[in-house]
Amino acid sequence: MAPALVLLAGMLLYPIIYTVWVSLSDFDLSTFQPSGWVGWKNYEAVLADPGFLQSLKVTGVYLVVALPLQMVLGFGLAFLLNVEWRGRGLLRALFLIPMVVAPVVAGGVWRMLLDPLWGVVNYALGLVGVGPVEWIGDPTLAMVSLILIDTWRWTPFVVLIASAGIMALPSDVYEAARSDGANRWQTLRHVTVPLLVPVVAAAFVVRWLGAVKMFDIALAATKGGPGQATDVVNLYIYEKGFRGLEFGSASSMATVVLLITMIITYFLFRISRRLENRW
Amino acid sequence: MVSTGRLGRAAAICGAILATLVFLFPVIYMVGISFKVPRDIFTVPPRWFSELTFDNYTSYFNQARILPRMLNTVIVAGGAAIISMVAGSMAGYALSRMRMRGAGVVAGLILASRAVPPIALVVPMFLVARRLGLTDQYITVILAYVTFLVPYVVWLMRAFFRSLPPELEEAAMIDGCNRFGAFFRIIVPCSLPGLVSTLIYCIILAWEELLFALILTNDKAVTIPVAIAGIAADTEHGGLWGPLSAVGVLTVLPVVVFALAVQKYLVKGLADGATKG
Repeated sequence: MAPALVLLAGMLLYPIIYTVWVSLSDFDLSTFQPSGWVGWKNYEAVLADPGFLQSLKVTGVYLVVALPLQMVLGFGLAFLLNVEWRGRGLLRALFLIPMVVAPVVAGGVWRMLLDPLWGVVNYALGLVGVGPVEWIGDPTLAMVSLILIDTWRWTPFVVLIASAGIMALPSDVYEAARSDGANRWQTLRHVTVPLLVPVVAAAFVVRWLGAVKMFDIALAATKGGPGQATDVVNLYIYEKGFRGLEFGSASSMATVVLLITMIITYFLFRISRRLENRW
Repeated sequence: MVSTGRLGRAAAICGAILATLVFLFPVIYMVGISFKVPRDIFTVPPRWFSELTFDNYTSYFNQARILPRMLNTVIVAGGAAIISMVAGSMAGYALSRMRMRGAGVVAGLILASRAVPPIALVVPMFLVARRLGLTDQYITVILAYVTFLVPYVVWLMRAFFRSLPPELEEAAMIDGCNRFGAFFRIIVPCSLPGLVSTLIYCIILAWEELLFALILTNDKAVTIPVAIAGIAADTEHGGLWGPLSAVGVLTVLPVVVFALAVQKYLVKGLADGATKG
């Protein structure tokens, strides 16, 4: 007990307090320390900063599109991969691979695949008469690319959790449903879906915890561009703090993000718990 | 399970194979590019079979000091994973067994810390490390990684220890073991599968981490993801696809081999990590 608490207090609690402290003070670059107390000044500045608000919006769009997409795709593929045949184990094993590709590698490789000039994706699209498509260069498509890469990297993870959930479905319930004369649709609607809801909720929460940390894929694939089109909030704060050396405002933004994340996570945990208990 | 017709089954199998190929394609493509010379990379249409070269693996590697960086990553990931496992599994055990006041609050806080965005930690870590002269040192990166690994270990191992019957260590304690003895002699051996799967996932997470490493290292302790981010940032000039792929392959290869070798444990760890708690 004690070692974990000491580590977490030292490396988690202390930094958070320090962040809040820096966010409330004037940062002195000559001593590299927070100096005077300035109250809410940094917060007022960042909340009026269009770049920060834009990055929050970008992050929101990414989360709202990518997470449901990955859930649907992941559970759908899990059903496909669950069909029993000789190659099932092999496919499952191969499906693990994208999940262990480091996000920064994923970003780099997809940047090549989506390259407007030399990329294979545009070549394939060209064969069917589409394109050339400016995947990374166009603001909307850059976001599409980011979500595409993230979905490639993370869907296998959802598949894995979903497979575990599907395999744990109790077979006697299905026999009961069949003997009661339920057709396939009714079985899916009234047996499979309710039984899987807690698994979906759990998978969603875990994906959420990972997705709010989105940084490396964006950095490697789009660098937040073009303009601010894919500038997720973590990337924006990183640039402000460590390129712009604006530690005061970076800390205020980080505190805002911390608060938002904690609040949403709290509600997600509550909802997920409730779903688990209801079914 | 859901019963499907013969035709439906065949379609599902085809779909599964197709989906797997689509998901594997980027990795296969990366391996392919890593063995190509530039004039075979930058062509339309793409050349599938071309002159084989190991240049991307050899000449570039010395120049970018890839191997020392690989070693750094091994040290950092291994160190962080081991520290987190020791501290995290002990805390997980305490939380699963002890009926003390505040245990619920502590558990809640540790779980909540899984939601702390790293960006909220990295500014003070950088400032403090800089003041203590600890930037670009293994220990700094290791301690930074512990912040996101420990909560994960606690969460997972708590669920795992709960599934073990308390009679196990009660018997040991009657035979004269204290709590610690019971933990290390009885509980740890019984939990080996859970411990192994958690350890593997910790190593993978630390192996791939970018944000902390990017900020806390600049030369000696630079890890592979940081090096890759640097190479990826260079693709604007068009030239570094080969080296990027080669480094990518070497980064991914050990993890893939490792992951496939311990697939059973890994799958269990990941699935439990998501659904138990």
